[in-house]
Amino acid sequence: MIAPKHILGTFDELLAALRNNLLMMSGLTDRNLGQAMKGLLERNDSLCANAIADDEEIDQLEKQIDKDGVDILLRFQPVASDLRRVVSAMKLSSNLERMADQATSIARRARKLNRHPPLPEVELIKPMYEHAMSMFKDSMDSFVREDVDLGHAVVNRDEKLDDMNGNVGRKLIERMAQDPEQLRGYLNLVFIARALERVGDHATNIAEEAVYAAAAEDIRHQKLAIQV
Amino acid sequence: MTTPERTVAERVERPGEPPPLEESVPARTFEIKNLSIWYGEKRAIENVTIDIATNAVTAIIGPSGCGKSTLLRALNRMHELVPKTRLEGTVLLDGTDLYSSNIDPAIVRRRVGMVFQKSNPFPTMTIGENVVIGLRLNGVRDRRFLNERLEKSLRMAALWDEVKDDLHKPGTSLSGGQQQRLCIARTLAVEPEVVLMDEPCSALDPIATAKIEELIYELKAKYTIVTVTHNMQQAGRISDYTAFMYLGRLIEFGPTTQIFTNPKDRQTEDYITGRFG
Repeated sequence: MIAPKHILGTFDELLAALRNNLLMMSGLTDRNLGQAMKGLLERNDSLCANAIADDEEIDQLEKQIDKDGVDILLRFQPVASDLRRVVSAMKLSSNLERMADQATSIARRARKLNRHPPLPEVELIKPMYEHAMSMFKDSMDSFVREDVDLGHAVVNRDEKLDDMNGNVGRKLIERMAQDPEQLRGYLNLVFIARALERVGDHATNIAEEAVYAAAAEDIRHQKLAIQV
Repeated sequence: MTTPERTVAERVERPGEPPPLEESVPARTFEIKNLSIWYGEKRAIENVTIDIATNAVTAIIGPSGCGKSTLLRALNRMHELVPKTRLEGTVLLDGTDLYSSNIDPAIVRRRVGMVFQKSNPFPTMTIGENVVIGLRLNGVRDRRFLNERLEKSLRMAALWDEVKDDLHKPGTSLSGGQQQRLCIARTLAVEPEVVLMDEPCSALDPIATAKIEELIYELKAKYTIVTVTHNMQQAGRISDYTAFMYLGRLIEFGPTTQIFTNPKDRQTEDYITGRFG
């Protein structure tokens, strides 16, 4: 359902600008993660360099979104769904920025790996990448479409990514024992897997924010609350 | 470990969160049931049912003409001062029907005081006389008692320190914000149970407004407060419960935090987010 426009047109314009910057940030983060992974899988240093260089733009967008968010809070004192959208946008931007940092980290390690003969174990990372990226895309979709069910579904998919990371880690440690010559390379792959696992964590955060923005429901840390 | 462990949930502080206004709430000052009020042919409020919690601030919000002031005035029978009014439904104050034939409206207004939009100290009276006039009209003559009540009321209205040396000066010599606090002191002097406020800050500057807001927050420890306001940020700051009215009907009522973060009704959401009209 499309909400009617605000009486204050400027308020609508600023909310739209906030949302557009967020979507641009999400698009750039998606591109950076793609470039970093392609740089790894295709052993392409220039793609890695792009992912590292483009991180600056995402950092600037994070600052812009925070500035615009504070400006809206100050000037319009939003409430209800408007308030939730502004607060969520600011939290999303911080998660996107950290996701892009993971892209940079993957790209740096890929460049190191590219200096040595290829490791077939790189293929172990691929399914993790696909899973993390599908979580990321769906988390953003749940925010944009205010799809609460999709948000919940994304959160539930994080456990699988954690398991995948555990399995990849175990296999790589086995390989380290078998082939200590390649220890540095395997270690870089372990860190890349961990970066992707973090991407999944941020996607989870985004999905949780999406549920909050759409339904005012705080679904964070529910497992912890049950254990306590 | 010898000391018992507290859970995280127990350690998290949750200040100022009012309980949901349901069966568990022990004290309700007003119980309003199916209240409708007409001014001549025009129905100003329609079938309103709402409970007002004791020692809490309830804010009534809504666009002009929605009936919020009429609802407020029905709580001390002030609306009857307008000719050709008619009322249906019941208003119980601590379980007593305010509109029962054996109830004196003057007694009701002593128990349920009111502060208006524009400060209205009596222009020919001094600051001191303004505060105790209600007691004098009720026959109190004991000077010591009057002086005690004068100081107590002015202290509760956070005005004592500013006027204690000028009690003989005219009430109208004070600033707008001070005059409004003088009117609050005048209301408190007769020791009501409830204070109704009809846009008490709308004629005041931000500093005077902040002082009144702070005062309202402090007064709720002793009084039940119902306020009408056009300022939604103010309603968000000072009230525990918020009622949204539109076209004479109560659209939504609930804890203020819920109304301002997650209103259940589309009309409430559109109004508080500035999409109405």
